[in-house]
Amino acid sequence: MPQLDTSTWLTMILSMFLVLFIIFQLKISKHNFYHNPELMTTKTPKQNTPWETKWTKIYLPLSLPL
Amino acid sequence: MNENLFASFITPMMFGLPLVTLIVLFPSLLFPTSNRLVNNRLISLQQWMLQLVSKQMMSIHNTKGQTWALMLMSLILFIGSTNLLGLLPHSFTPTTQLSMNLGMAIPLWAGAVITGFRNKTKASLAHFLPQGTPTPLIPMLVIIETISLFIQPVALAVRLTANITAGHLLIHLIGGATLALMSINTTTALITFVILILLTVLEFAVAMIQAYVFTLLVSLYLHDNT
Repeated sequence: MPQLDTSTWLTMILSMFLVLFIIFQLKISKHNFYHNPELMTTKTPKQNTPWETKWTKIYLPLSLPL
Repeated sequence: MNENLFASFITPMMFGLPLVTLIVLFPSLLFPTSNRLVNNRLISLQQWMLQLVSKQMMSIHNTKGQTWALMLMSLILFIGSTNLLGLLPHSFTPTTQLSMNLGMAIPLWAGAVITGFRNKTKASLAHFLPQGTPTPLIPMLVIIETISLFIQPVALAVRLTANITAGHLLIHLIGGATLALMSINTTTALITFVILILLTVLEFAVAMIQAYVFTLLVSLYLHDNT
Protein backbone atom coordinates (compact mmCIF):
# COMPACT_ATOMS: atom_id res chain seq x y z
CA MET A 1 0.00 0.00 0.00
CA PRO A 2 1.63 3.27 -1.03
CA GLN A 3 0.23 5.08 2.00
CA LEU A 4 2.57 3.09 4.22
CA ASP A 5 5.72 4.27 2.44
CA THR A 6 7.21 6.44 5.16
CA SER A 7 9.67 8.32 2.94
CA THR A 8 7.06 10.86 1.95
CA TRP A 9 5.48 11.23 5.36
CA LEU A 10 7.54 14.24 6.40
CA THR A 11 6.65 16.20 3.24
CA MET A 12 2.97 15.42 3.64
CA ILE A 13 2.84 16.39 7.29
CA LEU A 14 4.80 19.60 6.78
CA SER A 15 2.66 20.75 3.86
CA MET A 16 -0.47 19.94 5.85
CA PHE A 17 0.81 21.94 8.81
CA LEU A 18 1.49 24.88 6.53
CA VAL A 19 -1.90 24.81 4.89
CA LEU A 20 -4.12 23.92 7.80
CA PHE A 21 -2.56 25.79 10.66
CA ILE A 22 -1.29 28.87 8.87
CA ILE A 23 -2.95 29.61 5.56
CA PHE A 24 -6.50 28.52 6.24
CA GLN A 25 -6.54 30.15 9.65
CA LEU A 26 -5.18 33.41 8.27
CA LYS A 27 -7.86 33.43 5.61
CA ILE A 28 -10.72 32.65 7.94
CA SER A 29 -9.61 35.04 10.66
CA LYS A 30 -10.00 37.91 8.17
CA HIS A 31 -13.75 37.31 7.86
CA ASN A 32 -15.72 40.07 9.57
CA PHE A 33 -19.13 39.26 10.94
CA TYR A 34 -20.87 42.57 11.39
CA HIS A 35 -23.93 43.23 13.52
CA ASN A 36 -27.11 44.13 11.69
CA PRO A 37 -27.74 47.90 11.67
CA GLU A 38 -29.97 48.97 14.58
CA LEU A 39 -32.12 52.05 15.13
CA MET A 40 -30.56 54.78 17.25
CA THR A 41 -32.85 57.21 19.15
CA THR A 42 -32.49 60.75 17.76
CA LYS A 43 -33.66 62.46 20.96
CA THR A 44 -30.75 62.96 23.34
CA PRO A 45 -31.83 62.64 26.95
CA LYS A 46 -31.65 65.70 29.19
CA GLN A 47 -28.33 65.83 30.99
CA ASN A 48 -28.40 66.02 34.74
CA THR A 49 -26.72 69.33 35.59
CA PRO A 50 -26.50 69.52 39.36
CA TRP A 51 -24.68 72.85 39.30
CA GLU A 52 -27.68 74.74 37.97
CA THR A 53 -29.33 74.89 41.34
CA LYS A 54 -26.05 75.51 43.10
CA TRP A 55 -24.80 78.26 40.74
CA THR A 56 -27.31 80.75 41.98
CA LYS A 57 -26.44 79.96 45.57
CA ILE A 58 -22.69 80.48 45.17
CA TYR A 59 -22.59 83.32 42.71
CA LEU A 60 -25.43 85.44 43.92
CA PRO A 61 -23.76 87.42 46.67
CA LEU A 62 -26.94 88.73 48.30
CA SER A 63 -28.02 85.18 49.29
CA LEU A 64 -24.73 84.06 50.84
CA PRO A 65 -24.76 83.60 54.56
CA LEU A 66 -22.49 86.34 55.88
CA MET B 1 -3.60 -5.39 -11.10
CA ASN B 2 -2.56 -4.50 -7.54
CA GLU B 3 0.05 -2.00 -8.67
CA ASN B 4 -2.37 -0.29 -11.00
CA LEU B 5 -5.15 -0.10 -8.46
CA PHE B 6 -3.14 1.69 -5.79
CA ALA B 7 -1.30 3.93 -8.22
CA SER B 8 -3.49 6.94 -7.53
CA PHE B 9 -2.51 6.90 -3.86
CA ILE B 10 1.22 7.39 -4.38
CA THR B 11 2.36 10.81 -3.17
CA PRO B 12 3.05 12.91 -6.28
CA MET B 13 6.68 13.91 -6.47
CA MET B 14 8.44 15.27 -9.53
CA PHE B 15 12.18 14.51 -9.66
CA GLY B 16 12.38 14.80 -5.88
CA LEU B 17 10.41 18.05 -5.76
CA PRO B 18 7.36 17.88 -3.51
CA LEU B 19 4.51 18.46 -5.92
CA VAL B 20 2.18 17.37 -3.16
CA THR B 21 2.62 20.68 -1.31
CA LEU B 22 1.02 22.51 -4.22
CA ILE B 23 -1.82 20.01 -4.26
CA VAL B 24 -2.44 20.44 -0.54
CA LEU B 25 -2.27 24.23 -1.00
CA PHE B 26 -4.81 24.28 -3.83
CA PRO B 27 -8.10 24.23 -1.82
CA SER B 28 -7.05 27.38 0.01
CA LEU B 29 -7.18 29.21 -3.35
CA LEU B 30 -10.89 28.47 -3.48
CA PHE B 31 -11.54 30.45 -0.31
CA PRO B 32 -10.66 34.09 -1.09
CA THR B 33 -9.93 36.48 1.76
CA SER B 34 -12.64 39.00 2.54
CA ASN B 35 -11.14 42.44 2.05
CA ARG B 36 -14.07 44.84 1.89
CA LEU B 37 -17.12 45.77 3.87
CA VAL B 38 -19.42 44.28 1.22
CA ASN B 39 -17.80 41.34 -0.52
CA ASN B 40 -18.54 39.57 -3.75
CA ARG B 41 -21.00 36.70 -3.97
CA LEU B 42 -18.51 33.90 -3.49
CA ILE B 43 -17.02 35.31 -0.31
CA SER B 44 -20.43 36.24 1.08
CA LEU B 45 -21.71 32.71 0.45
CA GLN B 46 -18.68 31.19 2.14
CA GLN B 47 -19.00 33.59 5.05
CA TRP B 48 -22.67 32.69 5.51
CA MET B 49 -21.84 28.97 5.41
CA LEU B 50 -19.03 29.49 7.90
CA GLN B 51 -21.33 31.31 10.29
CA LEU B 52 -23.96 28.56 10.01
CA VAL B 53 -21.47 25.79 10.71
CA SER B 54 -19.72 27.61 13.53
CA LYS B 55 -22.98 28.43 15.28
CA GLN B 56 -24.07 24.81 15.07
CA MET B 57 -20.78 23.37 16.20
CA MET B 58 -19.52 25.78 18.83
CA SER B 59 -22.77 26.39 20.70
CA ILE B 60 -22.20 23.43 23.05
CA HIS B 61 -18.87 24.71 24.34
CA ASN B 62 -18.14 27.09 27.17
CA THR B 63 -15.98 30.20 26.82
CA LYS B 64 -12.72 28.29 27.05
CA GLY B 65 -13.79 25.78 24.42
CA GLN B 66 -14.94 28.49 22.04
CA THR B 67 -11.39 29.75 21.65
CA TRP B 68 -10.94 26.70 19.42
CA ALA B 69 -13.57 27.98 16.95
CA LEU B 70 -11.03 29.17 14.36
CA MET B 71 -9.13 25.88 14.47
CA LEU B 72 -12.23 23.72 14.12
CA MET B 73 -13.71 25.83 11.35
CA SER B 74 -10.53 25.75 9.28
CA LEU B 75 -10.34 21.99 9.95
CA ILE B 76 -13.79 21.29 8.59
CA LEU B 77 -13.23 23.56 5.57
CA PHE B 78 -9.88 21.94 4.82
CA ILE B 79 -11.08 18.34 5.04
CA GLY B 80 -14.35 19.06 3.22
CA SER B 81 -12.75 20.91 0.32
CA THR B 82 -9.91 18.39 0.00
CA ASN B 83 -12.34 15.46 -0.09
CA LEU B 84 -14.66 17.11 -2.61
CA LEU B 85 -11.79 18.06 -4.92
CA GLY B 86 -10.58 14.47 -4.78
CA LEU B 87 -13.71 13.31 -6.55
CA LEU B 88 -12.51 14.91 -9.78
CA PRO B 89 -11.02 12.38 -12.21
CA HIS B 90 -7.28 11.80 -12.00
CA SER B 91 -6.90 14.03 -8.94
CA PHE B 92 -4.84 13.24 -5.87
CA THR B 93 -6.64 13.36 -2.53
CA PRO B 94 -4.31 14.28 0.32
CA THR B 95 -6.70 12.88 2.94
CA THR B 96 -6.06 9.37 1.64
CA GLN B 97 -2.58 9.62 3.11
CA LEU B 98 -2.37 8.13 6.58
CA SER B 99 0.55 10.44 7.32
CA MET B 100 -1.50 13.58 6.91
CA ASN B 101 -4.46 12.30 8.87
CA LEU B 102 -2.24 11.19 11.73
CA GLY B 103 -0.59 14.59 11.60
CA MET B 104 -4.02 16.21 11.97
CA ALA B 105 -5.50 13.86 14.54
CA ILE B 106 -2.64 13.46 17.03
CA PRO B 107 -1.89 17.16 17.69
CA LEU B 108 -5.55 18.11 17.95
CA TRP B 109 -6.43 15.22 20.27
CA ALA B 110 -3.30 15.78 22.36
CA GLY B 111 -4.12 19.48 22.61
CA ALA B 112 -7.60 18.74 23.91
CA VAL B 113 -6.38 16.16 26.43
CA ILE B 114 -3.50 18.29 27.71
CA THR B 115 -5.83 21.29 28.09
CA GLY B 116 -8.07 19.10 30.21
CA PHE B 117 -5.14 17.87 32.30
CA ARG B 118 -3.80 21.34 32.93
CA ASN B 119 -7.04 23.08 33.79
CA LYS B 120 -9.29 20.42 35.31
CA THR B 121 -6.85 17.72 36.43
CA LYS B 122 -9.20 15.87 38.79
CA ALA B 123 -12.14 15.90 36.39
CA SER B 124 -10.09 14.70 33.44
CA LEU B 125 -8.53 11.88 35.46
CA ALA B 126 -12.01 10.97 36.66
CA HIS B 127 -12.94 10.13 33.08
CA PHE B 128 -10.99 6.93 33.48
CA LEU B 129 -13.54 5.47 35.88
CA PRO B 130 -17.23 5.67 35.02
CA GLN B 131 -19.67 6.20 37.86
CA GLY B 132 -21.15 3.30 39.74
CA THR B 133 -18.68 0.55 38.87
CA PRO B 134 -18.46 -2.33 41.34
CA THR B 135 -15.15 -2.28 43.29
CA PRO B 136 -13.56 -5.54 42.02
CA LEU B 137 -13.92 -4.34 38.41
CA ILE B 138 -12.04 -1.06 38.96
CA PRO B 139 -8.47 -2.06 37.87
CA MET B 140 -9.67 -3.70 34.69
CA LEU B 141 -11.95 -0.82 33.85
CA VAL B 142 -9.18 1.74 34.30
CA ILE B 143 -7.03 -0.23 31.87
CA ILE B 144 -9.87 -0.40 29.37
CA GLU B 145 -10.61 3.31 29.64
CA THR B 146 -6.92 4.16 29.19
CA ILE B 147 -6.74 2.06 26.06
CA SER B 148 -9.91 3.64 24.72
CA LEU B 149 -8.47 7.09 25.37
CA PHE B 150 -5.21 6.40 23.56
CA ILE B 151 -6.94 4.81 20.64
CA GLN B 152 -8.95 7.99 19.90
CA PRO B 153 -6.37 9.75 17.65
CA VAL B 154 -5.52 6.55 15.81
CA ALA B 155 -9.22 5.90 15.22
CA LEU B 156 -9.73 9.46 13.96
CA ALA B 157 -6.91 9.18 11.43
CA VAL B 158 -7.62 5.65 10.25
CA ARG B 159 -11.36 6.34 9.95
CA LEU B 160 -10.81 9.24 7.57
CA THR B 161 -8.10 7.47 5.57
CA ALA B 162 -10.01 4.22 5.20
CA ASN B 163 -13.33 5.82 4.25
CA ILE B 164 -11.92 8.06 1.53
CA THR B 165 -9.51 5.41 0.19
CA ALA B 166 -12.22 2.76 0.07
CA GLY B 167 -14.57 5.08 -1.76
CA HIS B 168 -11.96 5.98 -4.36
CA LEU B 169 -11.02 2.34 -4.84
CA LEU B 170 -14.64 1.35 -5.38
CA ILE B 171 -15.08 4.06 -7.99
CA HIS B 172 -11.95 2.87 -9.80
CA LEU B 173 -13.03 -0.77 -9.74
CA ILE B 174 -16.62 -0.24 -10.80
CA GLY B 175 -15.59 2.25 -13.47
CA GLY B 176 -13.12 -0.23 -14.84
CA ALA B 177 -15.74 -2.97 -14.74
CA THR B 178 -18.23 -0.79 -16.66
CA LEU B 179 -15.64 -0.09 -19.32
CA ALA B 180 -14.70 -3.75 -19.69
CA LEU B 181 -18.34 -4.86 -19.81
CA MET B 182 -19.33 -2.42 -22.56
CA SER B 183 -17.88 -4.57 -25.32
CA ILE B 184 -19.15 -7.84 -23.83
CA ASN B 185 -22.75 -7.17 -22.69
CA THR B 186 -24.14 -3.64 -22.95
CA THR B 187 -27.09 -4.16 -20.58
CA THR B 188 -24.87 -5.25 -17.72
CA ALA B 189 -22.62 -2.32 -18.50
CA LEU B 190 -25.60 0.02 -18.16
CA ILE B 191 -26.52 -1.48 -14.80
CA THR B 192 -22.94 -1.11 -13.66
CA PHE B 193 -23.01 2.48 -14.86
CA VAL B 194 -26.06 3.21 -12.75
CA ILE B 195 -24.21 1.68 -9.78
CA LEU B 196 -21.32 4.00 -10.56
CA ILE B 197 -23.60 7.05 -10.56
CA LEU B 198 -25.09 6.06 -7.20
CA LEU B 199 -21.64 5.45 -5.82
CA THR B 200 -20.48 8.88 -6.91
CA VAL B 201 -23.45 10.49 -5.17
CA LEU B 202 -22.54 8.50 -2.06
CA GLU B 203 -18.98 9.66 -2.32
CA PHE B 204 -20.07 13.29 -2.40
CA ALA B 205 -22.00 12.72 0.78
CA VAL B 206 -19.14 10.78 2.37
CA ALA B 207 -16.69 13.54 1.52
CA MET B 208 -18.66 16.07 3.49
CA ILE B 209 -19.75 13.71 6.23
CA GLN B 210 -16.22 12.60 7.00
CA ALA B 211 -15.14 16.20 7.39
CA TYR B 212 -18.02 16.77 9.74
CA VAL B 213 -17.37 13.65 11.77
CA PHE B 214 -13.70 14.44 12.22
CA THR B 215 -14.41 17.92 13.39
CA LEU B 216 -17.28 16.83 15.57
CA LEU B 217 -15.19 14.26 17.35
CA VAL B 218 -12.39 16.70 17.99
CA SER B 219 -14.99 19.09 19.34
CA LEU B 220 -16.34 16.36 21.61
CA TYR B 221 -12.90 15.60 22.98
CA LEU B 222 -12.57 19.30 23.56
CA HIS B 223 -15.89 19.47 25.36
CA ASP B 224 -14.83 16.70 27.67
CA ASN B 225 -11.72 18.56 28.57
CA THR B 226 -12.77 22.20 28.99
